[in-house]
Formats: sequence, structure tokens, C-alpha cells
Amino acid sequence: MTVLVVAERTGGRLAAASLDAIAVGISLAGTTAAVVGFAAGPGARESASDLGQYGLARVLVADDPSLEGAPPCAGAASVAAAADRVGADTILIGGTTYGRDLVARLAVKWKASAANGVTEVTPADGALRIRRPVFGGRATETRTLAGPRRVLSVRPHAFPPPPSAPASPTVEPLARPEDPAPLLGPKRTGVEATAAGLGPSLGDASIVVSGGRGVRTAENFHLVEELAAALGAAVGASRAVTDAGWRPGSFQVGQTGRSVSPQLYIAVGISGAIQHLVGMVSSRVIVAINSDASAPIFRVADYGIVGDLFQIVPALTAEIRRVRSA
Amino acid sequence: MEIVVCVRPVPEAETRLRVAPNGQTLDADGVKFVLAGYDESAVEQALLLKEAVAGSTVHVVACGPAPRTEEVLRASLALGCDRATWVEAPAEFAADSIRAAGAIAAVVRSPLPDLLLCGKQGGDDESGLFSGALGEHLGLPDLNYVTDLRWDAGTSRFRFQRATEAGAERWEAPAPLVVGLQQAWNDPRTAKLPNILKSRKATVAKVHADPSVPPGAGQPEKFELPAPRTGAKLIEYKTPEEAAQKLVRILREEAKVLP
Amino acid sequence: MPDFSLTPEQESLRDLARKFARTEMAPHAAECDRAARFPDEIYRKAYDLGLMNLNVPAEYGGSGLALFEQCLIVEELAYACGGMTTSVIANCLALEPIILGGSPEQKERFLKPFCAQYQFASFCLTEPSGGSDAGALRTLARREGDQYVLNGEKCFITNAPHASLYTVFATVDPSLRHRGITAFVVPRSTPGVTPGKDEEKMGHRASSTSTVRFEDVRVPVRDRLGADGEGFALAMRTLDQTRTPIGALATGIAQAALDHAAAYSLKRHSFGKPISEHQAIQIRLANMVQAVHAARLLTWHAAWAIDRGQRGTLESSIAKCFASDSALQVADEAIQTFGGYGYMKEYPVEKLLRDAKLTQIYEGANEIQRSVMARELLRAYA
Repeated sequence: MTVLVVAERTGGRLAAASLDAIAVGISLAGTTAAVVGFAAGPGARESASDLGQYGLARVLVADDPSLEGAPPCAGAASVAAAADRVGADTILIGGTTYGRDLVARLAVKWKASAANGVTEVTPADGALRIRRPVFGGRATETRTLAGPRRVLSVRPHAFPPPPSAPASPTVEPLARPEDPAPLLGPKRTGVEATAAGLGPSLGDASIVVSGGRGVRTAENFHLVEELAAALGAAVGASRAVTDAGWRPGSFQVGQTGRSVSPQLYIAVGISGAIQHLVGMVSSRVIVAINSDASAPIFRVADYGIVGDLFQIVPALTAEIRRVRSA
Repeated sequence: MEIVVCVRPVPEAETRLRVAPNGQTLDADGVKFVLAGYDESAVEQALLLKEAVAGSTVHVVACGPAPRTEEVLRASLALGCDRATWVEAPAEFAADSIRAAGAIAAVVRSPLPDLLLCGKQGGDDESGLFSGALGEHLGLPDLNYVTDLRWDAGTSRFRFQRATEAGAERWEAPAPLVVGLQQAWNDPRTAKLPNILKSRKATVAKVHADPSVPPGAGQPEKFELPAPRTGAKLIEYKTPEEAAQKLVRILREEAKVLP
Repeated sequence: MPDFSLTPEQESLRDLARKFARTEMAPHAAECDRAARFPDEIYRKAYDLGLMNLNVPAEYGGSGLALFEQCLIVEELAYACGGMTTSVIANCLALEPIILGGSPEQKERFLKPFCAQYQFASFCLTEPSGGSDAGALRTLARREGDQYVLNGEKCFITNAPHASLYTVFATVDPSLRHRGITAFVVPRSTPGVTPGKDEEKMGHRASSTSTVRFEDVRVPVRDRLGADGEGFALAMRTLDQTRTPIGALATGIAQAALDHAAAYSLKRHSFGKPISEHQAIQIRLANMVQAVHAARLLTWHAAWAIDRGQRGTLESSIAKCFASDSALQVADEAIQTFGGYGYMKEYPVEKLLRDAKLTQIYEGANEIQRSVMARELLRAYA
């Protein structure tokens, strides 16, 4: 089995999601020798040496400046060419917006069986058996990806990071194959880091702290944000909060907002309407802080504190700061 | 502007999920299927563009079995779409987003519309495979996780934003284009009663999905529901400080989610 | 072969009403009840969606629904709030005399402009001296040339303070009793029409009810529905049409009470187990579900009979009477299931009891329904 891992860069380093893909690649192939890296676009060479930190011995690089500001789909041809060059049967990508879209394109372009956001992958008689949450984490599906080729994205935080095993990979340049011209039509003209720009973004964060109606006013929302800052967490909100305009819609976790699955989700003053639950129920550990002991959030939470959030949350923030500084 | 919006029937949000007797899929028996929230946003987006660009038409397309597929198409007509095409296929066929995209691509290929819209992912399987597969099948670029899509007649470009890990990206793109919509940036309208009555009598064109379109999302093997959560372990405390200390200790030592 | 399954069209109409009821009405039901607030913004949305003038033929700008479809919608709305539902469907009652008794010219002149805008109409039959004995009404319509001059007072008139149009029943000669009653369409703008102040009510507090005074109100003959003396029959035919939706309204309240009680019984523990595992509660829930189910089927049956062209007097009286009695019973049992909490305004079930009560009284008190049933029944044996 030969795996091609597609590296993605954010903020000047390898995206956390790419580490998930590397970890899965190594465990599937059984050896780093059968895992080949691929990096494209600006910073591709830096990515190549970053991939080396996890023992990858070979990295293909397509540092084509025209990919800057191009849509994810424009990179699919390079990935397919890289996979063919190294004789890969499996392509792994981090489960980001970029990775998920690339998987869809490659499924058709590279004629592969595809799945996004997998949380488990195991070999099964020449095929791959994958598991992934569906219905907002309310169910899990297992599928068999048969056929000679597979392309997968890995759900963020679903796997422990790969062990560090520094190596100096050979770097092979790959000329980017011609894409059909229309694929380079869309252009990114700018990025506004959302409020989450102050900390990790909702989708990427391993800890999320969300506030709900129980916070009562826009001004009180800083309590949630201070707890998040102490934890290095991303800030989320329930629909009640974004509907009331206390925070913008980009903060919303839930069916009509973002789905998140961090290691730790702390729900502050959130009652737990189904609308919200489907967006966070697949988090690994859920903590609820709410004054109403009968709130549905306590049914999905692992740990709960029934009490006045205006007292509990500042105390929790202080305790975390204390522990962190100790 | 010619707009195609692709929708898909999914179980309504309140559905109590059950496992089918074969253990492989959701038990669809007795389940009510509706337009997914993501797709409602896509239909709303199509209608907003239609209202903004004179002479536009919105063609809604869905792939799947009777009666649920026809029902979501009629629901889309009631919301204001101009015509509907039902690409009839068995549920297993349509459940494979890559295959469904192939079957729909064959139907909308000629003449190519200016814009093809869909939800960012299926409201059920959340595969996120449809828009990319449709784009690849049609040789068109696709952008997913899009909000706030507008047509700028002056430059003949779509302008929109994308919600990504980096933040809110601003984009522009010429037609034709495939777009997956992030839900909730718009407030989907509710169909009015007279339009519901009209949609019941409207024509839904029906074609059969090309069975030779290859599958792409693998074979379902098992569908599982999580063991019911037993409810939160409640922390007992006398002071807020005590509650905080206990919780932090548990998160570090028991749950091991804090360093 | 009778068929109890709904058509896709019926399902989509019910879904529309359900969505509106749960997203627009329910979140405001408790607040409107507490403050006795008439939620104009919700009623406007109901109008915009086509949920208001359900019975008016589409050619005149209404929704043109048969009674069965009306009942499906009314039950869903009432599930969220009985009071709001009363105000939403009051136009159906007020406009039915024009639909049944108006000339094509009158329908064109009154229904079309009325339905083209968000507005209310009120049905003015009941008087302070008596509601059930409609034949004894005292509001006088004195003929003067090509006009009538109306004098009198109506009471318990739904939406009266907000209405722009009234359908008014008055007598041209009290000594003629039923045979003197005549129906008129009276715009609110007519000089001498004065709605009273909002009544403080036990339930249906999101709805609005007041008296309407008519003092030397001049109504042209062309605004009379039918001929002199045809008003009583018109009122009765109107109520034959609108009685069944009251059965649906009561069913909606009863279903809400049952759902609250069942969900609570699973959550609430006593003697170490959920109270749903106590047989006393199980028996109560079983009785409640029987009542709700029967109320719905009787309502559907009456609507079906009337939609098939039958007069349906017996069927609609049974449906209205049984469903409203059931609503009161089921709401009462829901409170009992909640125990002390059920008596508290913080919980939703005491409102259901107060809302249910009115359904036994308005649009023909259940005493009248029973006398109608007896009359219809005995006619077959006489």
C-alpha cells in the first residue's frame, strides 16, 4: 500500500489537520517509507521539510505561484499527477474545507472511492473500511471503499498526532499539469480573519467554549471569551446569541451554523436545543454549565455544573489561569 | 441568468434515527423526508439571484427515489423555482453523492447554466462530496462553504465569501460556476399556501438516472447509533471556586483533555 | 373505501401550518397570554402565508380550502396557541355569510378588496341579553328608503377592536323572531359603529374580544345579504360550516396537553422511577390519548361529510362538542399529571385548560350542540 499525504499550510506552518492525515497514513501503510508527501503552492518547500519531521522520506512539491488565490479544485490535477507518479493507491488529506473539497474533485478525476471526515480507517481485504459520524454526530456509518484507489479526508482531532521522527526527505519537483482553464477563473481577493482570528478558529480548535441565552446580554459575553482565552479555545455561540446579534453569525455552532468536534466542548448557559446539539454532540468531552438542571444539554454532556454561570465561569477562568501558570 | 439548484431529500431534523433491519443504513420506514436546511439556503440563494437579475430562471434538480424526491422538488417549486427535474434513481444510488452528481451532471450538461447551486453537504450523510464531484463532472470550478453570493453585472462576475479556517474569504468568479452554500447566512423563505397548492399541480419532468454512472462513495456496511449518553456527571460543590477546582481536576486527570 | 391517509397536498398544507405554529406562534404564546397581547406581527405573517382567509374562494383572493384542509391547518395552529388561532380563523367565520349568502356582485365588492390586504372582519351575532337564543336578538334594522338604520349592541365579538368589516345580524321586526333576522355587511368606517374596549378574558388572551355598538348606523340595501328575514338561516348555515374547525382547534389544544403530559411523565421521578411507570399515570395517559384520537377522527369525519356536500349538522355538532369536552378533560388531566407544577403559570399546561374552556362555549355552546344532536337524532325516529 502506498499513501500520498497532501500537506496544507496555514499561518506559516503545517495545518494541524495535515498531521491527522500523516498519522493515518503511517498507520495504514505500516511504515513511513510507504508514505509520500505532497505539497503545493506557496510555502510548499517549507511544508516538505515539515513533513520530514514525521519521518517522511519523499515529498513531491509543486510550488506553482499561480495556485495562490486559486480555488481548491485547481489543485486537484497536481495531486492526481503526484499520486500517479509515486504509484499511490490511497490519498489522504486533512479534513479542512480545502481538503474536503479536494477529496470530492479527486473522487471523479482520479476515479477513486472517496470519503470525507473519517474517524477510523482500517484495511479490509484489499479495501479500506472507514467510519465517520453522520447526522451531526447522531449516528456513525461504516463504509467499505473497494477498488484500486481511495481518497480520504480525516476528521480533525480524530487521531493522535504522529510521533516526531525527524528525517531529511528527498524533494522532487512536480510540474503542475494543465488544468482546464475555467478552474483558474475564480480568484480569492481577500481574507478577513474572523473574530476567531484572535484565537484558533472554530473548525480547527481542539477546545471550544460556547455561550448561549443564559449569558443574558451581549456585554456579558466577555465571560465566555475570557474562559476561552484562558484555555486557548475558540469561541462559539448558540443560535439565540447570534439571532440576538450579541455575536455575529460566524460564531454559531449548530445545525444552521458550524459543526464542531473538538476534544473539549464547554457549553455555557446553553439549554441544548436539538438545533445546537447536532453541531457539537460529536465532541469528545462535553461540559455543561447551566442554572437549569433539567436543561437537555445535561443529557449529552459528560460533566455538568448546575449553577449560576456568572459565578462559576469567572471562578473556572481563574482556576485555569492558576493551573496554567503553575 | 440560468440557475440550477440541486436539492436532496433528507430525514427531517426531529427524526428519531433507527437502524434498518440489514444493519447497513438508516431505517427510512416511516421517516418524513424534507428539503435539507443546507438546500433551503441554496434555493433561497437561487431565488435572491433570480430577483436581482432580470430574466433569470431557476431550475431545481434532484436525484432519488419516489416519493420523497418528487416531494422536495415540489416544495422547491412552492418556494418559487421555475421548473423541476427529477432524476429518478433508487435510494442506494442517490445516497452516493458522487454517483448522484454524475447522474445530475448528465441532465444539466447542455446547455450549461450560468450557476449551479447546492448545499455545502448532505443534511444526512454530510459527505461534502456533491459540489466538487458535480464541478469535476462538468469541467467547472466549484467553491464550497460559500455565503453572500451576488452577481456583479458591471464586471460580469459572481462575488461571494467563503467561510474557511482562515476566516471569511472574499472571492470573485466568472460564470459558469458550481457553488456549495453554507447554511444560515440567508433566512430561507416559507412557501405560501397558494404557491403550495400551485406546486401540487405543476409539472415535474422525470428522467431516469443513467445506471452506468459509476459509484464513488463506497458501500455501506454498518449504520450505528451511539450508546445513549447516560447524562452528565454533575459536580457537587459548595462554592464556585470548589466547582472550578473539581472540574479542572477531572478534565486533566480523568478526561485527559487539558494538559 | 374510507381512507384516513392524507394526500401529499394535505401533508404539505399541514406542514406549512405546523412550521408556522412552532416557529412563529409557539415562542410567543406564553408572553401573549400573560400580557393579553394581540400579536399583530404574527397575524400579519399568517396573512402573508395565506393562513388567514382559508375558506374564501381563490377567485376572491382567499385560500379556497375545503373544510378538511382547513381543519388540518387549524389543529396545527391551535397546538401552539388556541387564542392566536381564534384570531387567525375569525375572518373565516365573519366572511362565511358573504361566501354563502352574498350575490356575485357583493362577493366581488367585499371579499376581493378585503382579502387583498391584511385585515380583520368580525361576525356579529351574539348580544348581551343572550347568545344561544339567536332568534331573540334585539339589534334593530329599521328600513328608511334604500337604507337600513341599525341600532343595538353586540358582545363577545372576536377581533372586533381590530376589524375593518363586520357581518351583522339584526332584526327588521322583533315580533317575527327568527323570521325577522336579516344579515348586513357593515364597514367599520360607517358612522355610528363603535367597538368597545378589549375584554379581560380567562383564556384565548392573545385574541381580542369586545362589544360593538351600532347607533343609527345607515346601511344601504345593497349591503344586505339575501332578503329580509333570511339572516337566521344564513347564520345557521354559516355555523354549520365553521363549527367543525372549532373541533379541530380543540383537538390541537388537547394534543398539546397530551404531549406535554407524556413527555413530563418520562422525565419526572417519584418513588424511585419515572412517573410514567406508575399505573395510575399510564391509565390517565391512555384515557387522554383515546380522547384526542376520537376528537380528531370525529372532526375529520364531519369535515369529510360536509366536503362531500352533506349538510353535516349532526356530524359537526358531535365533533365540536366531543372535541371541546375532550380538550377540557385532557388539559385537566395534563395539569394533574404535572401535579403542583401544572398549576403554576411557569408551566404550559394551565393555559391549555383556560384556552380549552372557551371551545365548549363559543360558536354554539355545547348545550346547544347537544340539543341539535338530539333533534337530529330523534328526527330519524319520529
